[in-house]
Amino acid sequence: MACFERASPALKDVLLKLYCAEKPMEMDHHLYEFGAVEYHIQSSASDPHHAYLSISTPLLSQDTLQSHALSHYTREMVKGVSSDAVEIVEPAKEGYQLTLRLHFDKIPSGKDSVKVITEISAVQAVILSSQLKEMLQNVNSQVTFQGMYKPIKLVYHPREPFFVVRQPQKIIAVFPMRFKENSDVIIATAFFQELMDVGSSKEWAKAPPCTWSPIPPPELRGELIEDLSTNGGFVSFDIFPRHVEGKRLDKTAWSLLNFYAYVKYHVKCTRGFIQRRMRKRLESLVEVLRRASSEEEEQQQQIKKDKGCKYMRKMVSRSKNIKRRCGNLSRKIKRIRLRIKIRGFGRFHRRWLRLPKFCSSKGYAKLD
Amino acid sequence: MANTLRLYLTCIRNTLEAAMCLQNFPCQEVERHNKPEVELKTSPELLLNPVLICRNEAEKCLIETSINSLRISLKVKQADELENILTKKFLRFLSMRAEAFQVLRRKPVQGYDISFLITNYHCEEMQKHKLIDFIVQFMEDIDKEISELKMSVNTRGRLVATEFLKQFL
Repeated sequence: MACFERASPALKDVLLKLYCAEKPMEMDHHLYEFGAVEYHIQSSASDPHHAYLSISTPLLSQDTLQSHALSHYTREMVKGVSSDAVEIVEPAKEGYQLTLRLHFDKIPSGKDSVKVITEISAVQAVILSSQLKEMLQNVNSQVTFQGMYKPIKLVYHPREPFFVVRQPQKIIAVFPMRFKENSDVIIATAFFQELMDVGSSKEWAKAPPCTWSPIPPPELRGELIEDLSTNGGFVSFDIFPRHVEGKRLDKTAWSLLNFYAYVKYHVKCTRGFIQRRMRKRLESLVEVLRRASSEEEEQQQQIKKDKGCKYMRKMVSRSKNIKRRCGNLSRKIKRIRLRIKIRGFGRFHRRWLRLPKFCSSKGYAKLD
Repeated sequence: MANTLRLYLTCIRNTLEAAMCLQNFPCQEVERHNKPEVELKTSPELLLNPVLICRNEAEKCLIETSINSLRISLKVKQADELENILTKKFLRFLSMRAEAFQVLRRKPVQGYDISFLITNYHCEEMQKHKLIDFIVQFMEDIDKEISELKMSVNTRGRLVATEFLKQFL
């Protein structure tokens, strides 16, 4: 359910639109995120400086927080989100766990306004992480079970619960990992092994030690079988007091909440990377074969070209010969057809060899 | 290149050079049809003995020859699960784009990861030695690509793990 960005992008857009509107807007908008988080934004044109934001979100653990309402600690954390511009309305609207009144007139203008609205949009992340923080802080009071502290099951997605176990000097966060596809399991397993390697190196001695095992850790003994049946094994982080001190508490809680999303995002990106690489490789492999066939064609064309040149050259040489021969022949013909001049033959020809003129009986007289 | 791999590839190259003497041969069963005999296997007199070249149990190459066609089936090494899925993914990706290769078979022969079918027409269209070069280079490239992919996936995992742990500091 958690995502890397603390602020909800959709809620931020709506609030910014409402804040930047030149004319007062009438709004009654419902937003749903991750299937179970619901936002309801209300604003009326008659009261442009105020808007109401109601949130309904599933709680992390139903064991520790008996009622469906938010704890005092969570409310205090929400109050801390831009306290000038946000006010908690009591009681919350029906069907929601929290209703906030937003004072737009108290939001500073300019770039700061975007910053404040982003903080308001991250209220669901504040609720989620504050619940985990509260558990990490109050976990001392949990009952022991057979000499061990009982694990707390945290559910921020029905298919992705994780456990927090308090031990004398540390807190263990155990993530049962489940994936839909076998290839995802293998990519994730490679990642967990790298996580273990990096975590155990001297450079990262201050980071929480991480362990991965295909079988459930002993701390989870006695938990429900459906919670312990996984295909990706179990990843455990040992959180020492130094990791939850002061400002680090917030970072640690948010990192733990995001671990599932982080792993799934890595698996998705790795699959994309493999696909891109295979596509690239395909081109280079095909190129080898294409080159083979194109070389063949080129050779054939070269042969044809060579043949063609020879033919042309032959033709040119032939044409020269023909020209020469033709010249000779034409000269001969000229010579043959040349009239032989015999003196007196012309007169003989005119007198004796002239064709007689015949006059037709059906001749006609030319009319003038 | 490792010495054993060079020997393995040389052996395949020599076998292919010997086997790739294909000629046009009409189908004896169906009139006016021309079919790859190595696929049909209806006339034993047109088939040669298949040759199996093994580098080890996980890596082998089967060369089946007939009068007008040649089938080469490869089994690529898969040392661990990651190599196994990478090989499967990559060879499936190539098989699905078989039309780009002309000589690649859409479905590998049972027990092998990828198969090629070379007919006498392919030999006429492309040069014989170029085809053999392609097969050998393909085998080299597949091995190289799988190991590079594995390294890249592990390196990416290491970088992502480092970035995750940075958040706690």
